Amino acid sequence: MAGVSLKKVVKRFGAYQIIHGADLEVADGEFVVFVGPSGCGKSTLLRMIAGLEEVSAGELMIGGRLVNDVEPAERGVAMVFQSYALYPHMTVEQNLSFGLRMTGHDKADIARRVTRTAGILRIAELLQRKPRQLSGGQRQRVAIGRAIMREPKLFLFDEPLSNLDAELRVQMRVELARLHRELGVTMIYVTHDQTEAMTLADRIVVLRDGNIEQVGRPLDLYDDPDNQFVAGFVGSPKMNFIPARIVERGEKGATVELAGDRPTRLRQPLTGPAPEAGSSVVVGVRPEHFGEAGKGDADLSVAVDMAEHLGGTTFVYASMAGNRELVIQRDAEHRADAGEITVSIRKSYLFDESGKRLR
Amino acid sequence: MRLRTRTAYAFLTPYLLVFLAFWIWPIVNSFWLSFLNTRTANWTFNPQVTWGRLLVDPAFANALKNTLLILVIQVPIMIALATVLAVLLNSPALKARGPFRFAFFAPVVVGEVAYAAVFRLMFNEFGIINKLGMTAGLPAVAWLSEPTAAMAVIIIALTWRWAGYNAIIILAGLQSIPDDVYEAATIDGVSKFRQFLFITLPLLRPVIILCVVLSVIGTMQLFSEPFLITNRGGPGQATETLGLFLYRMGFNTFNFGYASAIAYTIAALAVAISLLNLWIGREREQ
Repeated sequence: MAGVSLKKVVKRFGAYQIIHGADLEVADGEFVVFVGPSGCGKSTLLRMIAGLEEVSAGELMIGGRLVNDVEPAERGVAMVFQSYALYPHMTVEQNLSFGLRMTGHDKADIARRVTRTAGILRIAELLQRKPRQLSGGQRQRVAIGRAIMREPKLFLFDEPLSNLDAELRVQMRVELARLHRELGVTMIYVTHDQTEAMTLADRIVVLRDGNIEQVGRPLDLYDDPDNQFVAGFVGSPKMNFIPARIVERGEKGATVELAGDRPTRLRQPLTGPAPEAGSSVVVGVRPEHFGEAGKGDADLSVAVDMAEHLGGTTFVYASMAGNRELVIQRDAEHRADAGEITVSIRKSYLFDESGKRLR
Repeated sequence: MRLRTRTAYAFLTPYLLVFLAFWIWPIVNSFWLSFLNTRTANWTFNPQVTWGRLLVDPAFANALKNTLLILVIQVPIMIALATVLAVLLNSPALKARGPFRFAFFAPVVVGEVAYAAVFRLMFNEFGIINKLGMTAGLPAVAWLSEPTAAMAVIIIALTWRWAGYNAIIILAGLQSIPDDVYEAATIDGVSKFRQFLFITLPLLRPVIILCVVLSVIGTMQLFSEPFLITNRGGPGQATETLGLFLYRMGFNTFNFGYASAIAYTIAALAVAISLLNLWIGREREQ
């Protein structure tokens, strides 16, 4: 087992820089998820850890050893690919054992590992089949099995569930969590699906445009985002952002006025310095942080455009003055289909113009 | 018949007539011809002088031997070379891939007569090949008048002309193998050479079989090179192939019955060898 350490890691393709000096410590046995929109560099970062991409600058350590120039096979890692990358002409058993056979591993040990892996992933009855005779979920298991066969110190997953249907994805997610518990090995997992990130991760690394935006436990990112990007990326439906202006700043906070033709004022407690009065800011409110009128920090009147009734909860799509779209989560007692409703803001976040969180 | 269908057939008719007259009819008629003695004024049914002669004619045996010799030596060398070329062309390390691809494919586009003339010049007694050989201290070879050397020239010419063509087909097959399969093998610690042996080659098998079958069919019909480069299968009949022998029987001695029997033999051999290839290369189920 091994932790991973990235120090000022940079990746360039020619003149084009993809990763801009990433710093990260992954503890031994931890399940870390890289998440971010497509093109943010999360897969590149994972492939650098695997050794499939060279590190342009900085230091990459696995288990305390500098591995910048170490061959992928010597790093003690195993990787599961999005497309499974199974060898199409080999049976499941041959797929599992191929790497070990090719590197002259002891035959009895290979057989032992195949049996164990097939047991862990419940694929014993599939061993003699070829990949094309398997369903998507079964192929994914075999791909994971091939990784387990190496008995790696570090597992790397590159969007392993994105080719599966929704139901299978949930099922495999549970299995991956079980696998992590059983093997207790460090795992780094790349996804663009924040639900996967929230449910699997010990810690989440949010990336954007080749920069690590924030690292933290899932609920910490949800409760206490560092910036507007993370706030918007974590949580579903995403946080509402309402432009606002500081109207007064004091010792322990500031008062902001939400944009719109019926100005709403909101008091924001802050421990740090507040921007000057008149500065533009953004107020973030999660859909679930709207409450009954009169019971929050400020009330807001909105016109309901549409509602999605999911049974226990209802998502109301509404517009406030100034035509700003809002998503409001309501419970079963407070469904609304049309008309004007008044809701209160129970909890909100304040961001400066650059998107940085004001605390 | 619906109007649309009728219109379609109307447009197809000219082609179908040509196809019938110049494809179907000769195929059917030559089959019938192959049983006739065409060396008499009145053609008579006598398979003994056509099919029967195949079994005893030393000239046919010679042409068959030459053709099979080319098949057994040239096709494997060419396919192996084409595979290596394709892998090199596919290498990400290769700069200027486009020009290389064109260069290897170009021989197919060159006219047969032109390339044959150049090969005759290169391999004649005072040609560049002998000149280069002598510079390197090798004795001059009578390429076109010595039987074994003449056969070698045919094999070299064929390989030059068709290796690139096959390489392009194999390259297409290579490009259909996803990169991540190799990445998975790299992480598994499998060397590049073993990746080639155990991943690339098995996955290329259908494409390589296609190339082999196409080459077998081409070789069985081989005509231009021995006709043009070694001057009608010379020296003597040393490079006379089945295709040339057929031509000689049909259009030099006008023995159409015998030529038809040879033609059918060539077709049957091509089919048989191709089927054998497909059978050998079939995917074996566990």
